[in-house]
Amino acid sequence: MTAKTPSFSIGPRGWVLLSLLASAVWASVTLDLDVRRLVPTEGGWSVAAEFLARAVSPALTYEAAVVPAGTQPLLVKATEAARMTLAIAAAAMSLALVAGGTLGLCASTFWWRGTVRGVRRRFPFVVAYAGLRILIAVMRSVHELFWAVLLLAVFGLGNLTAVVAIAIPYTGVLAKVFSELIDEAPRDAGDALDGLGASRFQAFIFGVLPRALPDMGAYAFYRFECALRSSAILGFFGFPTLGYYVTASFENLHYGEVWSYLYVLFVLIALVDWWSGQLRRRLVA
Amino acid sequence: MSANPFRDARVTDDRETLIRRLWQDRPRSRFVHWSGGLLLALVVHGWMLGGVNLSDVLSPQRWQNVERFLTELRPFPLQGRAWDWSVAGQWTLELLREKAWPAAVTTLAISVLAIVLATLGALLLVLSAARTIADAEPYLPGPRPPGLIRRLGSGGVVAGTRALLTFFRAVPEYIWAFLLVAMLGPTAWPAVLALALHNTGVLGKLGADVVENLETPALEALRGVGGSRLQIAGVGILPAIVPRMLLFVFYRWETCIREATVLGMLGIVSLGYWIEDARSRNHYDEMFFLILVGALIVLLGDVLSEIARRVMRTQQ
Amino acid sequence: MTATFQLRRVTVSYPDIRALAAVDLQVDPGEAVAIVGPSGAGKTTLLRLLNGSARPTSGTVAVGGERLSEMSPRRLREARASIGFVHQDLRLVPNLRVLQNVTAGQLGRLSTLGAVRALVWPPRDAVRQVHEMERVGIPEKLFASTDRLSGGQRQRVAVARALFQQPVALLPDEPVSSVDPARARDLVQLLVEISAERGLTLCVSLHNLELARDYFPRVVGLRHGRIAFDRPPSTLAQGEIDALFRLETAGDRA
Repeated sequence: MTAKTPSFSIGPRGWVLLSLLASAVWASVTLDLDVRRLVPTEGGWSVAAEFLARAVSPALTYEAAVVPAGTQPLLVKATEAARMTLAIAAAAMSLALVAGGTLGLCASTFWWRGTVRGVRRRFPFVVAYAGLRILIAVMRSVHELFWAVLLLAVFGLGNLTAVVAIAIPYTGVLAKVFSELIDEAPRDAGDALDGLGASRFQAFIFGVLPRALPDMGAYAFYRFECALRSSAILGFFGFPTLGYYVTASFENLHYGEVWSYLYVLFVLIALVDWWSGQLRRRLVA
Repeated sequence: MSANPFRDARVTDDRETLIRRLWQDRPRSRFVHWSGGLLLALVVHGWMLGGVNLSDVLSPQRWQNVERFLTELRPFPLQGRAWDWSVAGQWTLELLREKAWPAAVTTLAISVLAIVLATLGALLLVLSAARTIADAEPYLPGPRPPGLIRRLGSGGVVAGTRALLTFFRAVPEYIWAFLLVAMLGPTAWPAVLALALHNTGVLGKLGADVVENLETPALEALRGVGGSRLQIAGVGILPAIVPRMLLFVFYRWETCIREATVLGMLGIVSLGYWIEDARSRNHYDEMFFLILVGALIVLLGDVLSEIARRVMRTQQ
Repeated sequence: MTATFQLRRVTVSYPDIRALAAVDLQVDPGEAVAIVGPSGAGKTTLLRLLNGSARPTSGTVAVGGERLSEMSPRRLREARASIGFVHQDLRLVPNLRVLQNVTAGQLGRLSTLGAVRALVWPPRDAVRQVHEMERVGIPEKLFASTDRLSGGQRQRVAVARALFQQPVALLPDEPVSSVDPARARDLVQLLVEISAERGLTLCVSLHNLELARDYFPRVVGLRHGRIAFDRPPSTLAQGEIDALFRLETAGDRA
């Protein structure tokens, strides 16, 4: 009698893991990455060394030899840049919440699946639903920098361009996530309201939506944090946010200033992150 | 109690007083109310003091720009002429072959490598970022209560790692890439490392939360039989968090692709590079087409990621 | 609408199981009936037939003399608004305040706009809601967040919501299955008292025959989807009671 060897099966998760690792190998081959390139060139070394060294000593005043008269102190300018970053992010999120919330509600399957019967009558809903999802998908797959590129060509360098450039993809993301959260919310309370004579819409608003609202709020706040980052990098295109000053200082080789701006961004995001955690503790049961 | 209490005015009055008192004493969170107010203030501040000029949109000059821009989106060989599918097809194929396809592949490769590296980085840091295992006494008390120094030390390790992860996360990928290009030159490495660095921060924090929320009985048992931190981690913790982490990994991969498309604008040869190139030459038709291609691969990644997540969920 | 319930030869079949078979039941206005039986007997299905949440595979269900299957959607809504069904799992909205959950009982009679106003703006003059809360014994919890209440308190909120509907009938589904015996008695007594005071038809499903015997003048025994008996509890023989609750044998699946 032979002993049975224990069989080893790779479950679905295992396969996913393996394919992930295999793609990583493929990727490194395709990119033709040379590990030696990880070591900076001559010039790169000096930049790297000097830059990294300044990490522990960020500038508190300007590093330029000559500072034009009447310029605000560095820290004031940094705070002002942070304020603009925050302002643009807040304005963009307000747009994205309104538009994304509306689209998200419309894009949930709650409305028509289950109520409207018959292929003929469902058809317009299905078409509208599909169209909406495509619109949302297009909105969210184009990066805000690319939206900015498109909008700059048309609307110029006003801050409104930055706000809209962030608002469009964020509307798409919020719409998608909100619609998913609504579809996944527990329906038990909604069913009970249905059973006591509420209309479908009422059962939704008072039974289903409140169940999804805490998660929707948490995600929206997370998106606000991301909006801060998006707002910061729009500075690379010339908008008056932190990214602009990072590039300006870096190109002038004022590495200390660069770290100052980076730390300001870090503090801004850490604060919002902490705020988000506090709210979540109090609101999500 | 009377049969119809509503006819009894005194009872109603009592009830109204009761309601008022209960309303005043109701449990409410000061913090939440102040937060709501602050958020509203930030929004108002953004629109009013954020340098946003709404009249910009309304000037007739702008709408002329829009019209002009829209006409420039037509493929170059077709501008000013009637639409011809074969010419359009030719133009598309050439763009695809020369620029779009190789750049798209590069972009995807960058995103994949970056997310895998980020996962490795996150797994390394997760153990020192999770309070449960980085503590002076992970999971079970030791023979003696830990001294002040040990407690400060482990607290410091957790705080320090978490701060580091937050810093990685706070700096946008674009800025990391910008800095790395300056140091390493415009190869693919800055893009990969920038994405990996940022996402180590993201995945590290998510992973640390998962570790902290793990159910402890099995881990306590491992500690009880004398396991060291590393042993507990290898046998108990990592296998337990891998499923959740994989879900996060795929969720972040979508974002990675999106970011990878724009990193090209810094000089790395991904889609962003050709987009910036087209923009600087005012070839808006090419630029628009390439942006669409970028959107397409993001959507592709979205679909693949969704499939992977569904496949993994079936195992649960 | 008068609170008469009438089930005639009702069968409810699902693909893999038959929940009720050839059930005949008549409940008159103001009656207090206890439906008893072991778990899986079909008690919940029976109750759900009475407010139209479940549809019979064959047979008719009539409420107030009208057949449910012949009602227009609007009439059905009106009928449901007049029937206070209390679910076994309560089905309250946890992150709303108690007042909002209770106010939701009137949704069947409010326009959407009125409903939005009533729910988003917890009314200062919520006199009727307070009245119901007092009746179930927890008026001080009016503005509490529903998820911070204990299980028993939430149970009472669910009852208050049903009462706020100003129904003609009360249908609590297994209201005491996860409660300790003392509290179970308390709650059943409350339900019976309220129904008597307001002339509501009361139809409760219980798995505890003792409780049914002590508080209800009429007990309907259900086993495997069939009515085993439908009589005043004093007339029940011990043998019948045992037969109702005994464990399954092969011959039961007929």
